Amino acid sequence: MLKVQIKQAYPMPLQIQLECLPGELHALVGPSGSGKTSTLRVIAGLMQADEGHIQCADMNWFSAAHAQVEINIPTAKRSCGFLFQQYALFPHLSALENIAISLQNAYPNTKERRVIAQQWLEKLGISALAQRMPHELSGGQQQRVALARALAREPQVLLLDEPFSAIDIPTRHALYKTLASIRKELNIPILLVTHDLKEASLLADRITVIDQGISLQTASPRVLFQKPRNSRVAQLVGINNIYTGIFSAGSLSWDGCNRVLQVLDKGKIPAGQKVAWVIPQSGISVHEQAKPNSLVATVHQLSSIGQIASIQFQIKDSDVFVNWEASSAEVKRLSIQLGSEAHIEFDTKQIHIMPLRPINDPRRLQESSQSS
Amino acid sequence: MDFDSIFLSLKLALWTIALMIPLGVWCAYRLVNAGSFKVWLEAGLALPLVLPPTVLGYYFLVGFGGTTVLGIPLVFSFTGILIASLIVNIPFAIQPIQRAFESIDPQIREAAKVCGLSPWQAFRFIELPLIWRGILSASALTFAHTLGEFGVVLMVGGAIPGETKTASIAIYDRVQSFDTAGAGMLSLLLLAISLIAIALSYGLFNPRYRQNQLGRN
Repeated sequence: MLKVQIKQAYPMPLQIQLECLPGELHALVGPSGSGKTSTLRVIAGLMQADEGHIQCADMNWFSAAHAQVEINIPTAKRSCGFLFQQYALFPHLSALENIAISLQNAYPNTKERRVIAQQWLEKLGISALAQRMPHELSGGQQQRVALARALAREPQVLLLDEPFSAIDIPTRHALYKTLASIRKELNIPILLVTHDLKEASLLADRITVIDQGISLQTASPRVLFQKPRNSRVAQLVGINNIYTGIFSAGSLSWDGCNRVLQVLDKGKIPAGQKVAWVIPQSGISVHEQAKPNSLVATVHQLSSIGQIASIQFQIKDSDVFVNWEASSAEVKRLSIQLGSEAHIEFDTKQIHIMPLRPINDPRRLQESSQSS
Repeated sequence: MDFDSIFLSLKLALWTIALMIPLGVWCAYRLVNAGSFKVWLEAGLALPLVLPPTVLGYYFLVGFGGTTVLGIPLVFSFTGILIASLIVNIPFAIQPIQRAFESIDPQIREAAKVCGLSPWQAFRFIELPLIWRGILSASALTFAHTLGEFGVVLMVGGAIPGETKTASIAIYDRVQSFDTAGAGMLSLLLLAISLIAIALSYGLFNPRYRQNQLGRN
């Protein structure tokens, strides 16, 4: 298992906590510059954190407290395979040699190294490219060589830094399959950095959302989309109906809208607490005719991309907006047009209530540092 | 034709390359990874480019005038002009190699680390093969510059035939004794050797130049 708990202030603030089990594919997701790649670099030993510890398969790779480093195993001795975003193949070595060089210390015999490297090329379906130089390979082929190089050392953890960002969609899908089959075979922790949420939810068992260097939430994709820990996580995972209000014993008021929603009280939030709340797309239904608990709204924005229409409703007599996506056929059926009226119904069971500013929200940390 | 002086110049140039290039590779490697003093180190190592050769020769005479190495005096000896030649060639040997090191993508070095290679293995298997053009370029420049070196060699070594009288000093001697034909032949030969060395440096070892040539065709 890979256990990471790190803190650093420079060159970019990082406060990351995560665990990755053997055989688990764990995605690190966040906007550009959020610290995803820096986290991988710290784990690999290419960067050094100020404090914390990194443990892999019962071996301490790094341990530091109060800026005093106690253990810091050099990168070359950390058993980790690292797939760089730009692959970083050695330009003067052939595909085979690129893989064989990573076996330099494990297998002193050159022939043996070449045989194992060839086996890896076969495993990744590129054995015919063994003698090609990196500049003679396509992006997808280069990536397979880089992946073979990362795996040939039989690492105890595999770190993938945005591996699918620079390749075309068919190649990407082929590599998803390769990764899935390798994952089954290896049974080691795999960390995948990506800014593509769809990709992360498709591939990963668990996702850690990182923002401004801080890990905000670790959860399975399903939980993350349904129950984001806070409004920032909700924003980052692409939930666009985020509201604020006051929660009091099952009654949820809605800021900007004169309406109180009755929701399930799990007893976790004290009465009168200012909260953020979200409702997923599946919890919103739109009708032509009024329903007992529906809200009257007008169509404020309407945009269609292909067969998908994105509609923004404004709740009547309020400054609250509700975003909704539907097929063009559904839009036609409901006679939705710009300025037309519709009736919106919420499935209150799907409303998820969160603390407004959790303790590790970067904005909260920023505010407190500015005010102090 | 004064072949002794030509052979002496070639011997001096080859010895300078043999000693200077490994030192240049080491210095360039250290410079690439140098911290805040890098600018001052680079400036110090580039000094021979801007200082008049006679100034270097003067300091050499003042500094090593009475010094001997294994019983051999440093001034007016081949050892002396070799050491002087090493000093004046520092920038010619280091800079091309340093540029070659700097052109290696930092991710390549990181990839070497995550492949489990030790610093020495990373240097031997990854960096050294990637800087060979820089090494050849530095060798060609050092060779050509040593052949043409005059001021420092004259100040430090004088003009002892077979010991310190290099081709460029021999040309000077011929001119002083009005042997323009002899001076002309030697000059032409030095010109040809230097041109070939520089052309090799600029052409054969420079991939951009080669690509341009291919592009035109």
